[in-house]
Amino acid sequence: MQKTKSLGTAVLIAVIVVGASPGPGQVVAGAKTAKQVTAAGSASQKAARKSGEQVFTDNCSRCHKPPMSISPRVTGTVIMHMRVRAKLSRQDEQALLHYLAP
Amino acid sequence: MKLWLVAGCLLFCTLRFSAQDVEADSTHAGYIPTLSGGLGYIYNVNGGTPTLSPAINPVLLLPIGSHVLVESRAGFVGVFQRRNGTGDYTGQVFSGIDYVQWDWLANTHAMVVAGKYLLPFGLYSERLEPIWIATFQDLPIDFPIGTRTTGAGVGGELRGVVKQTDSYSVQYAVYYSVHSNVYLLSAARTTGVDTSVYFPNQRVEVGISYQRYLDKPQVNSEAAYVSWQPSQVPLDLKAEYDRTLYGQGYWIQASYMLSQVPVANSFVKSVEVVGRMQQYFPRHGGGNGFSTVNQQRPEVGLNYYLHDNWRIISSYERRYTPTKDVNVWYVGFTYRFLWPLWLGRK
Repeated sequence: MQKTKSLGTAVLIAVIVVGASPGPGQVVAGAKTAKQVTAAGSASQKAARKSGEQVFTDNCSRCHKPPMSISPRVTGTVIMHMRVRAKLSRQDEQALLHYLAP
Repeated sequence: MKLWLVAGCLLFCTLRFSAQDVEADSTHAGYIPTLSGGLGYIYNVNGGTPTLSPAINPVLLLPIGSHVLVESRAGFVGVFQRRNGTGDYTGQVFSGIDYVQWDWLANTHAMVVAGKYLLPFGLYSERLEPIWIATFQDLPIDFPIGTRTTGAGVGGELRGVVKQTDSYSVQYAVYYSVHSNVYLLSAARTTGVDTSVYFPNQRVEVGISYQRYLDKPQVNSEAAYVSWQPSQVPLDLKAEYDRTLYGQGYWIQASYMLSQVPVANSFVKSVEVVGRMQQYFPRHGGGNGFSTVNQQRPEVGLNYYLHDNWRIISSYERRYTPTKDVNVWYVGFTYRFLWPLWLGRK
């Protein structure tokens, strides 16, 4: 019983450590995103951001006041949650992501 | 033991998949486990009886990539009243799992939900109930219509957008719930649909809900609702009508932010004046969890929005029933929190 518990704990720790290490493409993803953001002065991204503001005003404020601030680290997760809750389209989700975490 | 392994594997998947999907989305948005939710501390006097109600509703969000989300909300509510009317406050804390569901965001038209989910019926159940959102802290009298018996279903749900244009958007949710007596996952056998049309130019939403309660006695419940936020003034108007075999009722609610008042604007702009009127009428004698007498409740209130998602709430309502009329007061605060549970890119 004690052995099983120890083994389980070891497996759990291993899973978390491996999971926390950079995954395939994680570092690359960061670099690519940075490049894309550098070139983000494009009109299309500005338009997307404006559209995101409109989506935010139209959908989020129907139920609640906007949060004072939202960390980009959790933006993707929160928008997924809100997409399900508010039945948002994929297009609206993308617009919100560009608006809240450009 | 098994639970820990499952939790570990879930966390593992969350981190691995999030690394891959960020590449696909050209934004800085992070997909990491998050703890969200609301808490509050409400002092309530109902017909002269004071009650203290601390409450917390944590929402755990575990994304697996950018298309799958595992989420759960728990509820812990304390109800404390004076012993023998004048003594110390004593009571108990009630806890439960509001929902625990797996979401697959397949595409715009279909999002698949499985597990224990909130029943999509009317405006309150899914959208306005959280303590940090609710304009008034007591639920509408007709809230049990369409949300019996636990407000949640256990089974599957399909939801999404039917069609979206610049001038309108049609949304839907259909579900089927099995009967469940499992601890923390209890639900009744029900099926139903909720659909609404939103007009972004007018900022008006109109919707209807239908539910067939499949456990005996089988009954139908219907709701119709409207929501309007005019763009020229900081006003929010909502109304809903609900009906079932045992009763029917409606509520109309308005909230107005005083942000356009020119006097002491830095203070007054955070003040919200709210009002609600609701009536309930039993049908066929009522019962089965529904009120058996006519009820009317006019309510008014003032909310003040502080920085960092804190809010002070206060309201007064007069409850009219054929047997007794009482005054009900609420005062307290609410807070909305949103914390990352894992280090991610800043």
